[in-house]
Amino acid sequence: VTPYLLTLYVMVSLNFLLPRLMPGGPVEAQLTIGSPSYVYDSAAREALSAYYGLDRPLGAQYLTYLGGLARADLGLSTTTRTPVATLIADRLPWTLLLAGTGVGIATVVGFLAGAHAGWRREHWSDRTLVAAFVGLQNVPSFVLAALALLVFSVHLGWAPLGGARTPFVDLGPLALAADVALHLVLPACVLAAAVAAFQFLLVRAAVVTELGAEYMVLGKVKGLSRRQLKYRYAARNALLPLVGNTAVQLGAAVTATVFVERVFAYPGVGRLLFDAIAGRDYPVLQGCFLVITVLVLATNLAADIAYRFLDPRARP
Amino acid sequence: VSLTQPTATSVSSTPGRRAPLLVAGLFIIGALVVVAALGPVLAPYDPRALVGDAVEPPSARHLLGTNDIGQDILSGLVAGARSSLAVAVPAASLALGVGTVVGVGAALRGGRAGKATMRAVDGFLALPGFPLVVLLAALAGPSRAAVVVVVALAGWPPMARVLYGQALRLRERGFVRASRGFGARPGYVMRRHLLPALGPVAAAGFVQWAATAVVLESGLAFLGLADPTWVSWGSILHRALEYQGLYFSSLWVWWVLPAGLAITVTALGFTFIGVGLEPSFNPQWRRSL
Repeated sequence: VTPYLLTLYVMVSLNFLLPRLMPGGPVEAQLTIGSPSYVYDSAAREALSAYYGLDRPLGAQYLTYLGGLARADLGLSTTTRTPVATLIADRLPWTLLLAGTGVGIATVVGFLAGAHAGWRREHWSDRTLVAAFVGLQNVPSFVLAALALLVFSVHLGWAPLGGARTPFVDLGPLALAADVALHLVLPACVLAAAVAAFQFLLVRAAVVTELGAEYMVLGKVKGLSRRQLKYRYAARNALLPLVGNTAVQLGAAVTATVFVERVFAYPGVGRLLFDAIAGRDYPVLQGCFLVITVLVLATNLAADIAYRFLDPRARP
Repeated sequence: VSLTQPTATSVSSTPGRRAPLLVAGLFIIGALVVVAALGPVLAPYDPRALVGDAVEPPSARHLLGTNDIGQDILSGLVAGARSSLAVAVPAASLALGVGTVVGVGAALRGGRAGKATMRAVDGFLALPGFPLVVLLAALAGPSRAAVVVVVALAGWPPMARVLYGQALRLRERGFVRASRGFGARPGYVMRRHLLPALGPVAAAGFVQWAATAVVLESGLAFLGLADPTWVSWGSILHRALEYQGLYFSSLWVWWVLPAGLAITVTALGFTFIGVGLEPSFNPQWRRSL
């Protein structure tokens, strides 16, 4: 746990230092009359200068910043004048839902396809799968998202155009769940395509290495079915690294949501970050940075712990 | 499927099989370089000039139509090749340079100083890269130099790690030990013996990071973090997706699709070269693919 806490501390401190050390000082520019990015709203400007406290010595600013973090005080948005913590708390569940679903799909598809490809290695279906997964991985997620939206939502009309649910309607709990799921499918699949290649290659490699093992020969001699040999014997060995990798991919997926949420107008943290960049809303930008960082680190830590729990050899 | 076949080592991905990938990758990147070099000659118009009506469909005058303010899209794509390379090549070179100095330096130095350096590199590797890149780019303001530095900053720690491991192995080889025994200084050993031997590893690292840099650059431009006066594939997509009517016409066929394909094919080109280079020095690859 210690290295993760250390990394978190470094990131938190960078979040404090970078806006203050950057040449040009974008935050200072917002407070200087006459600069192009001057914030005209006086209440927002006061909140901004109070949050950054640029007139005080650096050490005092740092202590105020850490104290604010401890109280979940992330400052005020300069565009909407809402507390940043509230904004993020509203958006976070959607991002978690989207990233979780995306990685879930990627893991299931990656596992099944990987087991198949490893089992039939060098077969044409194996080659096709490898090419497809590696190719998909090279398409930037915002390109894939835009194309998926155009094809499935606009031209085929299978999925809604964007958002996380139909606005301005009251639905029963069941209908609401169906509505949310319908809005979720397409962005989650795009996210899955971005991370599935890792899961696929991992399972494939694990299955390939197990194929010649003696216990596989024994299993075959015992007359086990191919299905049993494939999934219960060979692919089973891939589960351990797969679990560890799934948590890491969750962190990667959270960063990819920045692009996917923009295209699908999905109301998550990524979309918030995109709007904050467009509006030069630095407190919101930094808040999103912190939340995404914490999510990435937390998933990596979870992967470490899961690994130790599942694999006795990794215990100290 | 025969189960008795010996496995890992006999997976038939011999180096020869990867040569086509290398050729394809070199062909793609070569074509890109030509387009980038001849850009102003090839492009029918200045990509920033307003040369037509808004959102014209493709015609003989504008092969890929015009965008929402009447700029020629094909000219924008040609200019994009140049901006893509202008970020990817310097960023990957910078990352490789810093990674080489740190990684090989630490390996040559050895001892406590070398170990401490690599611990620091591990610390950098643990930082979540993408959020940091976005924050830095947002704070540095929209300039191309900032994008290059930020992308390089994220790329040097993994390069330092790989080169450190390789250099450490080389250090114990006879010819390096002999050279040091004769009193050669670290700088000389690095130039004369280590750098040539590290060449393939460095080249693979370079093209891999160039592929990442192409995607990162377009991603930053897509987020609106690139120089707004600079036409890039990411900024074409940014502009297209901001246009309200995009989804209700066939505009996307000549506005979104070509730019998206350009980014993908360029990234694939660099990746192909990387994979094609890999097995010539890393037999591990035969096992994993």
